[in-house]
Amino acid sequence: MSIVCPVSLDREKLKSEVRATYAKVAENPQGEFHFHRGPEYAARLLGYDLAELNALPPIATAPFAGVGNPFMMDALPSGGTVIDIGSGGGMDCLLAARRVGPQGRVVGIDMTDAMLARARRGAAEANLPQARFEKADMTELPLDSGIVDVVISNGVINLAPEKQKVFNELFRVVRPGGRLQFADIIVSTELSEEARNNIDLWTG
Amino acid sequence: MIEALQQTGFLRVRVWHFFNSFSGTTKEGVARKYGVQGANFIAYKTA
Repeated sequence: MSIVCPVSLDREKLKSEVRATYAKVAENPQGEFHFHRGPEYAARLLGYDLAELNALPPIATAPFAGVGNPFMMDALPSGGTVIDIGSGGGMDCLLAARRVGPQGRVVGIDMTDAMLARARRGAAEANLPQARFEKADMTELPLDSGIVDVVISNGVINLAPEKQKVFNELFRVVRPGGRLQFADIIVSTELSEEARNNIDLWTG
Repeated sequence: MIEALQQTGFLRVRVWHFFNSFSGTTKEGVARKYGVQGANFIAYKTA
């Protein structure tokens, strides 16, 4: 069920393509893409509460492009520290910020400037100062070791060409007894070499 | 994904829910061909 980036695929090019794709989503979430976006999709196919999403700033919810629902698995701890890997427009971070409350903190990590701008504005509009956003690669998190209670993520780790590095970094920042609860894609059949080298499939 | 998480040191790694995340998109056929779905994962770091 894992995907390993083939040697022939340029990893920097892949990162660049991912950044470019999600910059386009940030600039125009209603544009033509081969994946769903927005709160209606999140409610219809992923089980989010549409009323809760509609209470958040559209600037944060419109570019949502997750593939599952990290909030279904377990409650986030009140006052806890949560990080969101690939926070995009910030929708999941704002939901997490409401759950951890004002004594908690949520750090969204993303590498796309336009998404970070949306997320920061969304947190300000929602009056959720416990949510902040950092530009970083998910293999080099700007966080101390052992401080995170819960890592969330939604449809992003599959985009990383070096997944083991990502998992190593998550293991470093999670505190003993902490957890990952994230959504991502799984592939139940062996991919052909052609599919594995198709950068369009990686960026979706 | 599960094996990689376990090899990293995470415990009790589980897939909890599946989602037809690509239903109705232009990649629905590709997703069906390769069995691509969204899924929820949970994994713990030992206390």
